[in-house]
Amino acid sequence: MATAVVVARLGELYLVGPDGRARSFPRAASRELPAAALPAGLERELRTLPGEVALVADEPGRAEAISAVLGRRLGLATDETLRSARRALPRVARTAERAAVLAHARATLERVLASPEEVLISLAREEERFERAVGREQRAAEAFLAPEQTSLREYAAAWAAVRASLERHHERLRDRLAEQARRVVPNLAALVGERVAARLVAGAGGVEALGRMRGARIQLLGSRRRPSPERGPRFGVLYRADRMEDVPPDRRGAYARSLAALAAIAARADATTRADLSPRLVARRDRRVEQLRARRP
Amino acid sequence: MTPRVRLVPEPRSPRLVRREMRDRTELLTEAVGALPPVYGERWLHVGERAYRQFEPGRSKLSAGLVRGWTGPLPAPGESWLYLGAASGTTASHVADLLGPEGRLYAVERSPRPFARLLALAERWPNLLPVLADARAPRGYAAWVGPALGLYADVAQPDQVAIVRTNAELFLEGAGAPVVLALKTASMGRERDPAGHLEAATRELASFVDLVPSVRLDPFHRGHFLLGGRLRGGAGGPPRSLRPVTRAARPRARRRS
Ligand SMILES: C[S@@+](CC[C@H](N)C(=O)[O-])C[C@H]1O[C@@H](n2cnc3c(N)ncnc32)[C@H](O)[C@@H]1O
Repeated sequence: MATAVVVARLGELYLVGPDGRARSFPRAASRELPAAALPAGLERELRTLPGEVALVADEPGRAEAISAVLGRRLGLATDETLRSARRALPRVARTAERAAVLAHARATLERVLASPEEVLISLAREEERFERAVGREQRAAEAFLAPEQTSLREYAAAWAAVRASLERHHERLRDRLAEQARRVVPNLAALVGERVAARLVAGAGGVEALGRMRGARIQLLGSRRRPSPERGPRFGVLYRADRMEDVPPDRRGAYARSLAALAAIAARADATTRADLSPRLVARRDRRVEQLRARRP
Repeated sequence: MTPRVRLVPEPRSPRLVRREMRDRTELLTEAVGALPPVYGERWLHVGERAYRQFEPGRSKLSAGLVRGWTGPLPAPGESWLYLGAASGTTASHVADLLGPEGRLYAVERSPRPFARLLALAERWPNLLPVLADARAPRGYAAWVGPALGLYADVAQPDQVAIVRTNAELFLEGAGAPVVLALKTASMGRERDPAGHLEAATRELASFVDLVPSVRLDPFHRGHFLLGGRLRGGAGGPPRSLRPVTRAARPRARRRS
């Protein structure tokens, strides 16, 4: 059966007709294809195709978008059809290809990094880095001795002012992080605290990845090594979760395990249905804390 | 006068050279880009040419070569597709092997390493970066040109399936080189590394004529390099190897 294929290559759309010839239709400014951006020339061409010519596109989203405009169902090209259609496309000069690919790469990266989830990951990493740096600075400052009568005194006072300003910055950073975490992963943030929630998302590489993890994986996120009999247990970021402090130290492993299981439920909801499970999860968490405290000998 | 440095080109890929030292052999690739180093690797200048040290500890492909990989290699003038390029450590060397007339389409899904890959591509003239999920090749086909060979290092449980969907869409015909760096630790704990290797080998052997795989220990624990050449008539694997529900499959695979 005769087939016509709509194929995108670099910034252009092509129609490869049943005769195997490709015609190009430059796209409007946008490189993506919202249905409305179907080039007029291409739309006209598609409408004049006889009904017995099967019409397919290279990509499901494109097939759907064009179907909506044409009011005629487009199929998805098989690998074989698509490969031969691509062979019919004109060769693109090296420099033009390179310029188009790099421009597209910059644009997609920009778009991905601007998503709420990626902003949360950036904030989480930044906050972690900052916390470490400030902690290091604090310890060093405590070891620094500045007797009254020396110029070291002035120097120490100046540094203290700098440190105070860093701490103010840190606080603002944490506020932003908390707000972003409540927006992106509300259930998880309610369960383990915003900062830990953000670090879990960063450690998993995204909300979706976190939502697919089991509790045992989540429990280890952020720990630098695997557990081993010689070197003892390991502590992931979950050990800094809300209410961990309320549990007796020798019961914290057990608490981390239960919390990880609840976190898996919370993350899955945040990644999929976005239903608010937080009251139930928090209640279960708090019951567990009480249990572990009560069993104290 | 240039210092006497003896570099022996690899016959399968002449931009890959071996430098015999007193106690060991070093691998280097002839750079297609200019300094500074990509990830801190050493550079060696011989006359007009610049070579970059290709260390087995830093790259699975280099480790494979040290461990005696006999399979196909990227060669000058070819175009290859690289899946899982991360920030471009190995990809930069593969680009070197392809030379200024070759092209490397480098797919990476994770935005932070990709940002570094993009910065590298801006100064590495044959490197073409694509931010996309290798599981959904239809989504990035517009940005990938015809490819002769495929190198994959995605470290995912379904890595062989990812290789297959990409090979079927992008590679032109029988004999196309396919190289896969297999990370057994990402494949679950139900099997040991040898078991994972066997399963992956079996799966890959259904559409690739394999050369002997090589273990990458001690450079990369639990990793293997495997691959060979795509089987089948012109235009991809033979029909008999394809799943029956072909048309529906690419859609089902999309897990966005
Ligand atoms: C082991 S690293 C690659 C290292 C790199 N090849 C090197 O040797 O320099 C695996 C990479 O694959 C990427 N990756 C994993 N799944 C992917 C997918 N479905 N599509 C694209 N990239 C993926 C990861 O983000 C990661 O950067």
